[in-house]
Amino acid sequence: MEKVTQALVPLSDIVVPPPRPSEWYRTTVLDEEVAFHGLKALLGAADESKAGDRHAGLAAKSARQREAARTLLSSLSLRHLYDHPLTDDDGNVDSVMRVNYGIDHAVFAEIASMTVGGLKNHLLRSPGAESARVGKALTGVMAAALAKICDVHELIFLARRIPRPTKARTTLGLPGTLSSRLQPNHPTDDLRGITLLFYWGLSVGAGDALLGINPAIDTVENVSGLLRHLDKLRRKTGVPSQICVLGHIKTQLACLERGAPVEILFQSLAGTEKTLTAEFDVTVELLDHGYRTMREKGTLGPSARQFMYFETGQGSEFTYGKHHGIDMTTTEALCYGLARRYDPFMVNNVTGFIGPETHLDNFEMIVSNLQDHFMGKLLGLPMGMAPCFTLHSHITLEGQQMATQMLTAAGANYYMDVALNTDRMLAYFDTSGHDDQTLRELYGKRVTPEYEAWAIEQGIFRKEEDGSLARGPNWGDLRPFVSSDAELKGLIATTPALHGFETAGPRPADEVSRQVRLHQAVGREATQSALRIDEMREILDFRVIATEAPSKEAHLHSPSLGARVAAAHRAALVPEHRQVQILVSDGLSAEAVHHNAGDLLPVLEDGLNARGITMGKPILAPNGRVKLAEDVADLVQCDLVICLIGERPGGDALASRSLSAYLVYCVRDDETRRRAAAFSGNESVRFEYTVLSNIYAGGLPPLEAGGVIAGKVFEVLERRAAGNRLEALLSS
Amino acid sequence: MSGTVSLLGLDFGSTTSSAMVASAAMVRNCVTGRVELSRLAEEYRSVPVFTPLREGRIDEAAVAALLERWLAEGHLQGKEVFGGGALITGLSAERQNAAALASLLRARLGDAILVASGDANLESWMAFLGSCARLSRRHPEVEVLNLDIGGGTTNLALGIDGEVRRTGCLFVGARHLQVEPGTYRIVAVSRYARALLDHLGIARGPGDTLSAEDVDAVLSFYVALLEAAVTGRAEVFAAPIARLHRHTELEIEPPASVAPAARVVTLSGGVGALVYEHLRGAPWPSTTFFGDLGVDLAERILSSDVLARDLAAFVPDHFGRATVFGMMRHSMDISGATVFLSSPDVLPLRDLPILGRLGSDAEPGRVQALLRLVRESPSGGCLRIEWTGPTLAAVRRLGAWLGDELKARPLRPEQALVLFVAENVGKTLGQYVSDWGKSPVKLVVVDEVVVKDARFAQIGRMKDHVVPVWVHGQD
Repeated sequence: MEKVTQALVPLSDIVVPPPRPSEWYRTTVLDEEVAFHGLKALLGAADESKAGDRHAGLAAKSARQREAARTLLSSLSLRHLYDHPLTDDDGNVDSVMRVNYGIDHAVFAEIASMTVGGLKNHLLRSPGAESARVGKALTGVMAAALAKICDVHELIFLARRIPRPTKARTTLGLPGTLSSRLQPNHPTDDLRGITLLFYWGLSVGAGDALLGINPAIDTVENVSGLLRHLDKLRRKTGVPSQICVLGHIKTQLACLERGAPVEILFQSLAGTEKTLTAEFDVTVELLDHGYRTMREKGTLGPSARQFMYFETGQGSEFTYGKHHGIDMTTTEALCYGLARRYDPFMVNNVTGFIGPETHLDNFEMIVSNLQDHFMGKLLGLPMGMAPCFTLHSHITLEGQQMATQMLTAAGANYYMDVALNTDRMLAYFDTSGHDDQTLRELYGKRVTPEYEAWAIEQGIFRKEEDGSLARGPNWGDLRPFVSSDAELKGLIATTPALHGFETAGPRPADEVSRQVRLHQAVGREATQSALRIDEMREILDFRVIATEAPSKEAHLHSPSLGARVAAAHRAALVPEHRQVQILVSDGLSAEAVHHNAGDLLPVLEDGLNARGITMGKPILAPNGRVKLAEDVADLVQCDLVICLIGERPGGDALASRSLSAYLVYCVRDDETRRRAAAFSGNESVRFEYTVLSNIYAGGLPPLEAGGVIAGKVFEVLERRAAGNRLEALLSS
Repeated sequence: MSGTVSLLGLDFGSTTSSAMVASAAMVRNCVTGRVELSRLAEEYRSVPVFTPLREGRIDEAAVAALLERWLAEGHLQGKEVFGGGALITGLSAERQNAAALASLLRARLGDAILVASGDANLESWMAFLGSCARLSRRHPEVEVLNLDIGGGTTNLALGIDGEVRRTGCLFVGARHLQVEPGTYRIVAVSRYARALLDHLGIARGPGDTLSAEDVDAVLSFYVALLEAAVTGRAEVFAAPIARLHRHTELEIEPPASVAPAARVVTLSGGVGALVYEHLRGAPWPSTTFFGDLGVDLAERILSSDVLARDLAAFVPDHFGRATVFGMMRHSMDISGATVFLSSPDVLPLRDLPILGRLGSDAEPGRVQALLRLVRESPSGGCLRIEWTGPTLAAVRRLGAWLGDELKARPLRPEQALVLFVAENVGKTLGQYVSDWGKSPVKLVVVDEVVVKDARFAQIGRMKDHVVPVWVHGQD
């Protein structure tokens, strides 16, 4: 085997041209000059208009401007892009950009003089193998530039011809296959619920790419337990696949160190070093360490050619405000340039996951998915796709399905299997095992060869006389995996959002689909619901303020707007120096407020009055976010804001009525600030948060929540602390 | 949430004693919102040992040493035990110093486990839950009647779909006649065996040797009683000698259906385990190996059509050695995660009497009457709050009545008031009763626990926001 130390080129050995001052890129459209200052601006304007780029001020202002930018970009040589590395806000080349320059220089020398448009023509005219060869010589920026000048047919046509097979325990991405990652996520990591979703996934032929859980609790103990459970299920069922628990890379490495079966090492990536380190707590050095450790000690041993798994998706750098003026497509391509360094077993793209602040509607989500798939494949990655959405965006199941139709045509390696499209832990909507099977049948695709043989034995699939693969007698039936109805009943009793197992062909039976869609509709409606101020004033004597979000739409699509009191209302909030300020806002579900406030608020008020706690007049703030509490606290100068706010709805209709209570304690006096800073390690700490969530009839009932919140308020005020510091004080 | 806890089960039977340690995760069921024990894993199971006896009494010193050994072998030394239970059963429960043994266990283990002595219905319950609950749930179409046959008693429990419906107990066991191992020379005779020998006209006592006919006559009587219990033939127990052997009312009716599999018999306990081991191919232990008639009784059970018909087809967990498991796992309930405690050190509480129930239609007079009972009880007492879908007004009203009465006529400092409520409203009710923590009352409100008809309650220490709850002395 190749020596590990030779496998990764040291960062210091990767040559990057020195940054240069930004140039002006100018062109004339008819008699109008259109100009862009710097490559970042040009790249941003050349893309389809997407919410994240619009919010960042990078999107073109008009179709004409966009086409002008594309024309300019198309005319730039690859050498020009090479010579102008994009820099961070301080003008430096960061480590992610540096890794992107780890290219095949011999091939680059052949194509350096080509323009971006010329490269596109060359790839369209050449066999697919040429795209695969040339891709090794491209940086992420070059791939992004190419993607921006491709139309939909071109994104599909070019990507389809680049197979990227990989091999861990089994082989993924062979031509003609369409695999799936089984994702049996559970909100509390309950092994019974995970087991049910695992069996259900296998029954519909899912999981040939990976059996992988996103843990609700990212501790070494919990992730190890989940790994062992997955390992047990894999052995028991005999399914030929690989397992992974998608905790933080540090957690997984600690699990490996303690003997847990880490077959595939996962990590989310970002396209700027600042996002990668500050938000994901990951450095290139740590990724190198993880890669080397897996090469030496990974559970699958030397039989696995690849063993790394990365997740990416357009928009994270923008959401965290660490994109350095680089557009979403380009930062995504930079992620791929980083992922390529580790020759991963699989890469999963979850564009659409973040919400409407990055992708507002179906078109934006679909285009980004096609770009991402193309760029990833071009740069050498085994791309799996997870076109997905949240209910507060305008993206729908229909848009998601359109995306998968096109991505299957483009040759995506795999999709997710999230049972009935509803992720029970992450409150978003992804592809399902039913979708995967539907697409396999539509496009004549198969699962991996190893999985196929196993699934035929299980009666999940059967081989037709013409050699094609069809659903077998046990497809969709999870009873063969359980020992009795009693066991099945026990598993079902711990799994939320189950709407039925019945099927019709490769699809869920209509009655099941109706339930899924009904729950989604209720959740989506909750995100659009408005606070009914008169009804709220019947419960408490509220004063109403506005936030900087001028409308519901603006509130949902720009999180920062709801975090500030509107200018016209700031003067009304003067320092009152009360102990507590109650702040009620709709957040992402006004329905949650209305279904809980009637029982919760009177109990809370009783408690605060009984203890003689001084209160400002309660505030009702339509279109607000949690961070609004900090602005309000600064204005009214209270000790504690009790912020009651609607949670983001998921796939359970009742849970769309779920409220959270954020107790936002203001660290004001010097002694408290000193203690808070010492505890958190953050010298500038101003607020501490205690959160009580899941307040609704199916979780913590509002009547009980009132007493619980009041009790917690007493503790916060007595101990002058909130959050982890309060819990530490209480337990000591 | 997902915290790991340790559970301990102890079984001091007529003949043998054993211990079991398990770990479990406390997991919130996101469908029901309840905290449950999950991922139960057996960490340690002791070898059964003869229950230490000395001059007809339980040898307390030997039990103390045994307990230390089990705790060490189960890696529980210095570790907190969250819950579980200890059963002192059969003839051990009848020893003069059974209460002293219970005290010894409580002194060593605190109030982290329920110690039950001579609670025959609880034993029947635990044997079924530990041994047959899973089997019964897998076969909801049949009634499962479990006979937990030990040295002194046979505990019967009839269940359907994992739920116990009827319990009962007979003084039928292996050790009423103790003999020298390898022979039938009598060493000791229980008062039940004395009566039986007299009834059968067998004039033998300690020092004498039982003939084959004597043994056959005794075992025939035992098997006839067991068969009568299984088939629900109440008339058999009309005879004085049979009535004497009935420890608690049986109330097991004949099977509802004539279908062959309508009611199946399973076994547990020491004698039950012998039967299953033999069915799995093990030879019978040598003659009177355990110094009693256990091996003979096991053989006779296998020759009974009524008792043995379903034994091969319906095999319980652990082949019947599961009472200790049942005790460990099923003797306690877990509260909801918003328990009200007037102060953290109010727990644990042991053997508090359950003194009555307050419905949603309760009047202040009823509240006063029940709190008077609590005041008259040395350590206080428990009340069950029963209402359907409590409203804000109902919680405020009941909270005010209880709070006002406690203010007018306070409990003594050593007394505690425990309120059990089935709904998730414990914290708020406690806040109102305690006037938001300002009242000095020692108050615990345990929610999301349904307290069955029982006379006493025990509440363990809080762990991850929940408390273990045991109720005992079931009617």
